[in-house]
Amino acid sequence: MKRHSKAFAFAVALSAVASTVSAADLTVGVRGGPESMDPHYSALGSQADAVKHIFDPLVWTGDDLQLEPGLAVSWKPVDEDTWEFKLREGVKFHDGSDFTAEDVKFSIERIPSVTGPTTTEIYVRRVSEVEIVDDYTLNIHTNGPAATLPYDFVRLFIVSAEAAKDYSTSETSAEGFNSGKAAIGTGPFKYVSWSPKGDLVLERFDDYWRGPAPWETVVRKEISDDASRLAALKAGDVDVINYVSSADYLALDSDPNIATFIGDSVYVMNLQLDQREETPKVRAKDGSALAENPLRDPRVREAIDLAIDRETMVEIVLEGLGKPANQMMPEGFFGYSDDIPTPEYDVDKAKALLADAGYPDGFQIDLYCTNDRLPGDGAICEGLGQMFAQIGIDTNVNAISKTVYFPTQARKEYSVFMNGWGTLTGEASYTLGSLAHSPNDEVKMGAFNRIEYKNDEVDRLLQAGAQELDADKRKALFEEAMEKTMADRAYISIVVLQSVWAGDKDKVVVTPRADEETLAYYIKPAK
Amino acid sequence: MSSFLLKRLLQGVVIMAAMSVIVFAGVYAIGNPLDVLIPPEATQDVRERTIARFGLDKSLVEQYFLFISNLLKGDLGLSYIYNEPVLSLIGNRLPATLELVLTAVLGATLIGVPLGIYAGYKPHGFAARAIMAISILGFSVPTFWVGLILILTFAVSLGWLPSGGRGETVEFLGIEWSVLTLNGWSHLVLPAINLALFKLAIMVRLARAGTREVMLSDTVKFARAAGLSEMTILSRHVLKLISIPIVTVFGLELASTLAFAVVTETIFSWPGVGKLIIDSIKNLDRPVMVAYLILTAGLFVTINLCVDIAYALLDPRLRRGRAE
Repeated sequence: MKRHSKAFAFAVALSAVASTVSAADLTVGVRGGPESMDPHYSALGSQADAVKHIFDPLVWTGDDLQLEPGLAVSWKPVDEDTWEFKLREGVKFHDGSDFTAEDVKFSIERIPSVTGPTTTEIYVRRVSEVEIVDDYTLNIHTNGPAATLPYDFVRLFIVSAEAAKDYSTSETSAEGFNSGKAAIGTGPFKYVSWSPKGDLVLERFDDYWRGPAPWETVVRKEISDDASRLAALKAGDVDVINYVSSADYLALDSDPNIATFIGDSVYVMNLQLDQREETPKVRAKDGSALAENPLRDPRVREAIDLAIDRETMVEIVLEGLGKPANQMMPEGFFGYSDDIPTPEYDVDKAKALLADAGYPDGFQIDLYCTNDRLPGDGAICEGLGQMFAQIGIDTNVNAISKTVYFPTQARKEYSVFMNGWGTLTGEASYTLGSLAHSPNDEVKMGAFNRIEYKNDEVDRLLQAGAQELDADKRKALFEEAMEKTMADRAYISIVVLQSVWAGDKDKVVVTPRADEETLAYYIKPAK
Repeated sequence: MSSFLLKRLLQGVVIMAAMSVIVFAGVYAIGNPLDVLIPPEATQDVRERTIARFGLDKSLVEQYFLFISNLLKGDLGLSYIYNEPVLSLIGNRLPATLELVLTAVLGATLIGVPLGIYAGYKPHGFAARAIMAISILGFSVPTFWVGLILILTFAVSLGWLPSGGRGETVEFLGIEWSVLTLNGWSHLVLPAINLALFKLAIMVRLARAGTREVMLSDTVKFARAAGLSEMTILSRHVLKLISIPIVTVFGLELASTLAFAVVTETIFSWPGVGKLIIDSIKNLDRPVMVAYLILTAGLFVTINLCVDIAYALLDPRLRRGRAE
């Protein structure tokens, strides 16, 4: 026993030495880390979050995803299928070289040869040719009118053409970038070290064009377990953490040393109702087949919508960390409509509608949702099951892992299902184009419309919106498409999620970003 | 002895071949990884190009034989998620798991077996009862809960030890080890205790049951009659007689802990292979999942082979081939 306590005392002394770090160092505990130091390998959110410390995107997005000048200072369409981008002058790479149009062209052109399965080709899918006009001007030619091109470029990271030229095939990129040889960007921090799932260590870049960062050294630790990440913060091993769970958030409120920061996320939980003639997971209460798919009847869809008590969902299920949703995007996004009514909660009316539609005793459905992707997804699913039961729709709730959910959903084996959708670009063509347009390879829309929803008017509006280069006109088209889609109730939006950060109250102030990125440059030291 | 070994080796090869088919077909059945991995804005042509680039448009049989032929060349493929060779991805993280698991399993055995022998030697004493009562806790309390309580107590409340991570490492034989630094040990202590508790309980119970049985045997009576001291009897005769089940369980526990220390590694953010495999399952990182499961099968086969050899060394009857 004596030996033990000695060993403990020694360990204590050691850890005390190890944790004496300077006030100018920041340690961040993040749920997910990057996949590669090559910014073009993956389009995953946690990847962009990490590499944004080292590389700047061509177009910057502010806290609410509004477009702002970044490496590009201005952009405008010059004809039907050409955009002109003016670049910022005087920007330096970490190795001291100048940033020019050549680097942008190189970055766009290397993507197809280095990207992984979470493909970054999506950022340049509209680009047919990159033409350098002069060192700080580019003409980007697109295949057809590409109204949303600047939005595509918010995660187009610019690497140094000189440093990365030998590391731009899928065999060499990981080696070049992960070793740091090619990880030369224009961002606020220089790359020091990283290995898959390990700590990302960064060092301040003093010549950063926005001015030097407030932190000399930044370490991003990947701590995937929610409880462990919180424990690391409480123990003082990290200064900031992201994705605090709703249960922990309540407990943290009473902790005097820790500050919490809440922001709206881009994620909306959408219930999706299969619109095919035959649907697999809906039947009569005795288990027999129904004559037709009841989800095709607008009265049934309205009844389902009326059965959902969104206020309770937010207050009880999400512990207040959300807002009732009436459409598929959060307020203020490009294409968000102010004219969509707030959904009602009315059980009696819902029952009457069901009876009217020929289902006075209701029917039986299997409801599928993810339970490990976004905060509260599994709990919302269970809440929905109980609410549907109240209007006579017997619901078997299946809240399952995203690993099983998404492939099965892609095979269209579900009838009623719910998952979150994040409008990552901040504008409606991303969301409506993928979900509300009928599946159509020719116009490349409707790729995630797994319920075969089709409204010719919505299709027309979305196709017109994709071609319309005038921003005001485009906005009106998307708003109308959103109104029409929500009125059909094949997609029923339930809640907008919120995201919580927590940090050492005496050390940091975090400004939440809608894309949920935790950028060290914008974490300010507490006064 | 050699025919015995040969037989076991052949069995191992058959098991490995069968495992590779089961693993590959099972992972294939979950679905197309691209449904999880590909971003929503991907248009149909981008999607098809990506599927073709990763060979996912080929049939199951084609993919399997491609995998096997690469495997025989020593190439397990590139991770979909990290774009690094699977083998180096696993190899870089194996030392972390290895030192954690060896510390935990060896510690559990070295502490648990003597405690168990003592509990079996004096089954009615107060100490023996206390040992047995505590070992029940080791069995019945879930690992993740103990882990969180350890962190809350020693890292959050007392602030004595770090809450997670691996700490400083030193290079030895070309591999980074944290058992060689004191800072490394401060990180290692909590997860090792967490991992060891269950195994400690098993070792105590096994050793106690064995000892109680052996103490009544003629061997012990004769040894006592011959005037040997109790200490000699326990350490020379009893320990040897109870060691076969202990070696068996040691081997099984070692293998299963090496392969599946997932819970502890996740809670303590220990950068071992357990976390890698759980994340690769979440992301359907097929090359990592398949390679890892096959390597794990190989690990079990190898450890069981070692256990069989240990039997032969411990039990002369097996060595002469009479036991079969």
